[in-house]
This record gives sequence, C-alpha cells and structure tokens, in this order.
Amino acid sequence: GKWKNKERVLIFSSRGINFRTRHLMQDLRTLMPHSKADTKMDRKDQLFVINEVCEMKNCNKCIFFEAKKKQDLYMWLSNTPQGPSAKFLVQNVHTLAELKMTGNCLRGSRPLLSFDPIFDKEPHYALLKELFIQIFSTPQYHPKSQPFVDHVFTFTVTDERIWFRNYQIIEEDASLVEIGPRFVLNLIKIFQGSFGGATLYENPHYRSPNMHRRLIRLSVAAKFREKQQVKEVQKIKKKGSKALIREDPTEVVFETPAEEQPVEIQLVKPESKPIVKDKKKPRKIQRKKQKKLFRTEA
Amino acid sequence: QDGLKLCLSEFKQQLAWVERLDVTLGQVVDPVSQSASGKDAVDPENDFQREMSFYRQAQAAVLEALPRLRKLQIPTRRPDDYFAEMAKSDQQMQKIRQKLKSKQEAMERSERAKQLRAMRKYGKKVQTEILQKRQKEKKNMLNAVKKYQKGLSDKLDFLDEEQTSSQGNKKGSANQRIKKGPNAKRRYKNQKFGFGGKKKGSKWNTKESFNDVSSFRPKVAHNKGPGKAGKGGKKALNKRPGKRARQKMKNRGR
Repeated sequence: GKWKNKERVLIFSSRGINFRTRHLMQDLRTLMPHSKADTKMDRKDQLFVINEVCEMKNCNKCIFFEAKKKQDLYMWLSNTPQGPSAKFLVQNVHTLAELKMTGNCLRGSRPLLSFDPIFDKEPHYALLKELFIQIFSTPQYHPKSQPFVDHVFTFTVTDERIWFRNYQIIEEDASLVEIGPRFVLNLIKIFQGSFGGATLYENPHYRSPNMHRRLIRLSVAAKFREKQQVKEVQKIKKKGSKALIREDPTEVVFETPAEEQPVEIQLVKPESKPIVKDKKKPRKIQRKKQKKLFRTEA
Repeated sequence: QDGLKLCLSEFKQQLAWVERLDVTLGQVVDPVSQSASGKDAVDPENDFQREMSFYRQAQAAVLEALPRLRKLQIPTRRPDDYFAEMAKSDQQMQKIRQKLKSKQEAMERSERAKQLRAMRKYGKKVQTEILQKRQKEKKNMLNAVKKYQKGLSDKLDFLDEEQTSSQGNKKGSANQRIKKGPNAKRRYKNQKFGFGGKKKGSKWNTKESFNDVSSFRPKVAHNKGPGKAGKGGKKALNKRPGKRARQKMKNRGR
C-alpha cells in the first residue's frame, strides 16, 4: 500500500541529561520508526528555535527532553508548525534494557494505543489524547515499519498523572508481557502554539520539583524548630517565677521575744560523741554531685 | 476551556481508524478483583494493584482491537519463518533469559534444601521410633523367657511370636498362670519345709488339724465320682474290704 499519513517526529534533548534519559530517548527512537534524531540543543537558545530545527528536518511533531539541575526531566510534546504543545514533568523512568522487562517486539511494528476512559471526559485530556495518538502511532505502510501489530501502548490516568506502559501481545487471548520503557508524565501546561503562545490549560495539581524539595526541607526544619521550642518552654517552667507575697503587718503581732538566758561560758571541753562511720556517706556525696550536675544542665 | 475545545477541533485529524489504532476502554471485568467498576478504588500507592489495572486495560484494548484488525486483514501474529530485527537485541534477550533461569534455579535450590531438612528431621524421628520399638521387643522377650524359666507359662510361644494374635496368647497364659502358680510338688514342699525348718518342733495331730476336713473328697470316699483312667479296676481297688472280710478271703484262699 501507499504511505499516506506523513507524520515525522523529531526526538532530541538538551544538554545535561543523564544516562537514563539518554537511554529512554534511544528506546523511543527504536520503538517509533517514524522518528528522527538530532543533536543536543544548547541551553542558551530559546525554545522557539526548536520550531526551526523541526522545519529543517521536515518533521511535523516533536518530542523534546529538557533536564534541569541534573535532577528534573521535562518533556515537551508538540505539533510544530502551529499546533498545541504540552510540557510534562517525567518521573519513574525505566528503560528497555532493564532485565525485569522480559517482552520483545519487532522493531518498527505498529503499536496499538490504549487509553483510559478518563481521556474522553475532560477537554484537556481529550486534547492530550489526540496529541498522543498523532505522535505515537506509526503510520501505515511506513517504509521502516513492519506490517504486524504485536505490541500495545497504554496511557492511564491515575493520581493526577499519566502512566505509560508498553506490552507485547503474546497470544490471541490477550496475554501480555511488558516490554518497557515506562514513565510517568505529570502535566504542567498546555500551550496554544508550539513551544510558546497562550496558555490553554494549567494543571492545578502540579507542584514543581523545586517546590516539592523545598516543602520537604521546610517540614524537616519545622520539626526541628518545634523540638527546640518545647525544650525552651520546659526550661522556663523549671526556673519558675517565684511569686512575691506582700508583707502582712498582722503577722508581727504574735511575736514574743525570747526570755533572756544567762550567758554560760564553757570552761571544760564537752564529751565528744562516738564517731559512727556513715556508711552511706560516699553515696550521699555522689548523689549530691549528680543533683548539682542535673541542675546546671537544665 | 472553550479555547481548548476550539484548539482541539482545529487540531483533530480525520484519519481512518486503521491509521491510528487507538482504543479507549476501561478494564477487563475481572470476576476475581473486587473493583471492576470503581477504578478510583485503585490505590496508586499499591504498586501491584496499579500495575494490574494497567494490564487489564491493555487486555481490554487488545480484546477489542484484534477482531477489528482481523476484519481489516492486518496480520497480528508473526509467522514462524519471519525473521526481522527486534526492538531488543538478541544479546539483551539472552541476558534476560539468563537472569530468569538463575532466579528459578535459586528458588529450586532453596526448595530442595528445605525438603532435605524436612526429610532429615522425619528420618531421625522414624529412626528413634524404630530403636525404641526394638528395645521394647527385647524387653518383652526377656520377660517372657524369665517367666518360662520361673514356670509360670509353659508355652514356648514367645519363640515364634511374630504377629498372630499376641493378645489371645497373652489371655490364655494369664488364665493358666492364675490356676497353677508354682508346681504342685513345689507347693507341697513349700508347705512342709518353707520358712526354714518350721515343721520340726510343731505338733502333729492337733485339734485344728483333726478338725481340718479340707482334704476330704466325698466322691472319692464313697466311690461315687467317675473313674479317672480305667473304670472297674480302679474302683475295685479303691474300695478295700474290711479286716474280717479280708481274713475270710485269706482263709478261703488257703
């Protein structure tokens, strides 16, 4: 047959990606025969430069990976000339090379795309669904494609995120084995234009990774500060403010002076008491010391 | 929101399904799982549950799509002689296979070790039981021999006492033992000479011994009971004629 649906996807990344992202990119390139690769883009170029790159390569879709701080990975999916684009935060990346993914498929075989029913309910999800379909489905009769359909991509919405899985179809009764890769997309924004333009949708549940890390740090700090405060309160309690009692004038009334006793001068030394060794004396001394330490500590 | 819808309507391509191959479905209704309808019940933190929900969604999609594909005559099964490049290299698949094999072997080894341990325990138990049984048998044998020596049981059954009704044997010998005890001869001698020379200085025809009629057998005395071995001869012999009759006999005989 003739290859009519001319979709080409440009898959490339910015500088500063780590090995996992690089492998993920390579995996996507092997799974999608209608993709093209490009060199890494420099950070200082603006994003709309990507549109020009795509045009040069004669591609009408783009997957662009952007890594920030060597920690966070962002993915742009875009329809390059004028269409919408979406930015995602990528998490939980597992590549094809992991030994737990035991399935395998033909290189370039066409995938079946499976979507969650939630994708039909919300307009932004519907837009995303259309974007996914156009990007990920291999056109029929593409020269590099194989005519068989032997694997299925699943997109599921759980916990406000989009989960991607790739399964190999073994039997006609739908027994599946995972091929990989897998990743989780957290939608940030949908723009009207390609890599720019008006914001069509902003995900209210999205929290930037910086914010996330900051919150964690704050909570830890808050815990620590709470402990300190409790300690201080305890210190103040222990010291205790002594309440001053006002002088009572009626108290003096009952005081009677003692009788005057004759002054007795002792000329003889009094008998000395028998010295009884205090067995508990060293223990008493130790206890006193401990009490002193305890008081000074607090 | 309206902007979104507008954009979507502009962006959407009108392609035949065959080009896109997309399926939007819920999951396969699994009779085992409790939440078939409520997907919100899937806890995203519970890894297994989450992955199972993805799996089931994929299965549902496949089950729906395959018949459609077959109708459109798109092949889904790869014929066995079709060799083409795979997404993962053969080397990679080898590695995977190795890993799976090693895991399985490790499991088998641990299983075997467990079984061995269990068997050894059981064997030890059985061995102790057997030893105890043997000791018991030995003890019983010795007892039986002693009893035979003492004269309680004159049956030599214990020699070939294998399996057959050891219970019955035991009962019979017990009865006999009660009746006989030590030998009659022994009992008489015990009475006469027992307790070391008691009989020497004791009285003979005392009032008690005269009054003691325990050894009187009326049948024997009146010659009434059935004869033991022979009939007439013994009877006749038992009844001894008196002195006068005897003298008469003697005189007549002369």
